[in-house]
Amino acid sequence: MNHANKWHRSLLAAAGINMLLATTALATDVTVWCWDPSFNGAAMNEAISRYTASHPDVKITVVDFAKADMEQKLQTQLASGQTEGLPDIVLVEDYGAKKYLLSFPGAFEPLTDKIDYSKFAPYKVELATVEGQTYSLPFDSGVSGLFYRSDLLEQAGYKSADLQDITWDQLIDIGKAVNAKTGKPLLSIDQNDAGPIRIMMQSAGTWYFKDDGTVNVKDNPVFKKALETWVKMLQTKELYKPVSGWGDYTGAFNNGDVAAVFTGVWMTGGIKSNNMSGKWAVAPTPKLDIEGATHYSNLGGSSWYVLASAPGKDAAIDFLKTEWGSDVDFYQKILVGQGAFSSYLPARDGAAYSANDDYFGGQAVWADFSDWQAKIPGVNYGIYTNEADAAVTAQLPGLVGGGSIDDAITAIDAQIEQQMQ
Amino acid sequence: MASSIISRENRAGWVFVAPALALLGVFMVYPIFWSLWMSFQTGKGMNFKFGGFGNMIRLTKDPVLHHALSNTLIFLVVQVPVMIVLALLFAVALNNPRLRGRSVLRTAIFLPCVTSLVAYSVLFKSMFATDGVVNDTLIMLHIINTPIGWMIEPFWAKVLIILAITWRWTGYNMVFYLAALQNIDPAIYEAARIDGVPAWARFLKITVPMLKPVILFTTVLSTIGTLQLFDEVNTITASAGAGGNPADATLTLSLYIYNLLFKYVPSYGYAATVSWLIVIMVALLSWIQFQFAKER
Repeated sequence: MNHANKWHRSLLAAAGINMLLATTALATDVTVWCWDPSFNGAAMNEAISRYTASHPDVKITVVDFAKADMEQKLQTQLASGQTEGLPDIVLVEDYGAKKYLLSFPGAFEPLTDKIDYSKFAPYKVELATVEGQTYSLPFDSGVSGLFYRSDLLEQAGYKSADLQDITWDQLIDIGKAVNAKTGKPLLSIDQNDAGPIRIMMQSAGTWYFKDDGTVNVKDNPVFKKALETWVKMLQTKELYKPVSGWGDYTGAFNNGDVAAVFTGVWMTGGIKSNNMSGKWAVAPTPKLDIEGATHYSNLGGSSWYVLASAPGKDAAIDFLKTEWGSDVDFYQKILVGQGAFSSYLPARDGAAYSANDDYFGGQAVWADFSDWQAKIPGVNYGIYTNEADAAVTAQLPGLVGGGSIDDAITAIDAQIEQQMQ
Repeated sequence: MASSIISRENRAGWVFVAPALALLGVFMVYPIFWSLWMSFQTGKGMNFKFGGFGNMIRLTKDPVLHHALSNTLIFLVVQVPVMIVLALLFAVALNNPRLRGRSVLRTAIFLPCVTSLVAYSVLFKSMFATDGVVNDTLIMLHIINTPIGWMIEPFWAKVLIILAITWRWTGYNMVFYLAALQNIDPAIYEAARIDGVPAWARFLKITVPMLKPVILFTTVLSTIGTLQLFDEVNTITASAGAGGNPADATLTLSLYIYNLLFKYVPSYGYAATVSWLIVIMVALLSWIQFQFAKER
């Protein structure tokens, strides 16, 4: 009898504790993983402060990683099948989106019925669509441009008009002149980063892969031209400061060691965090010297994905839908602050998109980027971009040393084919 | 009667080791067999199927694997002998009772191997940057005129990794030799000295043969360690989101396995196959070293 009583009491106590837990759990926790505190992290924090103002019961936390670390951590966790410790929302770069969606079916939550995708740039929606289901809240575009120090280039005798319609070869000449006049190299280059090749390829409407996913390296004149151009730039030692790693790379132009950087619009946040107002300007991406080449390309760009296993899934979706899927004003703020060039089309009509920016000497940079973005040739990224990048960078030292381009292309093609097995 | 006691004690013994055996089974034996099974699976991500010997055939045709294998062997062939000889010389020098401050020196040489692999790798990365402390010092001393691209030139990147792991592990091996040297009877050296044997011959003809079992042991350990080299090449020579740079010059087998799993579109089966390649290489190289030690 006594025994039964004890049991009863402890059961009641347990129930009481459970109820306590249930009440505290009413405040929903949502965790977000992203990789750049001055860019997507900052934009996310802005969205959070707007959302939580009207939803005090939701607590959203941003966790910042280095990009490669975050991607590898995500992949490791998804592979383990252990969902505890995964975030609710994760930022995925466009190059890797299909890789995750196809490799880990069921890991991400389809948002097809929850988001009005007609309001987003179609290419971004396409990137996150598998078998009729769309999984992302499309975030930024990586429309590319040539950011340069207008003060340093002026010393070398170049005005903005001289940079409007140039080829990569002309950029090499400009680099030589800048180095001769100012003593500073034009660029910082990490030879292990294949980003420039990707910019060049997409600017002429091609990629490592064809639309059907097969390798598009051999007999691709644009790829060959891009590789030749890049090798020529690498061989011109006075053009750049060789660096290793992201910190060195961005440090070079943030410290004023080099005079320019060609990259995606998302670099704006980093560039603007220096105290160099009025000393920067933006020109269109230089062009490949080949038929079909344009001044318009893309580097990176990413979107938010919701994990299907996430406990705060519903709150996460509502948050994305409310802020990222309908707040035009929010997009104006992160455009000017972080250079977050959204793929949410209604945001383009906002005031910020046509404003002048004093940091860039009063240039209407956002209107320029908008203009260029509309003209970027579309390509299919496939799922093996990492593998292809590695195959290309492995050949670069040999090529810079004077190796044969055709032999290198054969080797790159063979290596990618091998990795796709 | 006696047999029943033995059988009871046997039973008790098994009960005592059962928890350890169970844990060993779950966390060691089972994964080993599972990885062997995985190495016969092909496919990307979570969609795999039985692929027979497909992965073994892929091993023979994969240029990246061959590159990683040759890098690993270069590290092995260059670094292990250099480190073993260095550790031996340090040990003999520090064993000399007439040397002043030898306990301080011993500690100093041993200290690197208590630091964390990643922590020292980060430090090396910053010291050996193109405009880092090492290049600045070398230029100041007029040893070089232009900075060495430690992490940019493929050749120097290999040199840097070899320098780093030698720094990290020499003291560790030295400690084994120091301990073994205590076991050599000083009378042997005394007799040799009285017979007029010069110092170098005492080292080669007495010290080295007496230390042979320990040298074998450290060589096998170092070989295994080098075949599994990962942390340094994933930290010191990492850039653009990948280790083993520049241009895969420091890509090792372990790092390649990691890339196959966590960086590329995941190929779990193929990665398991590559890991079994390491197992086979370790077994083979250890066997060769044992044979080599036995003959003499």
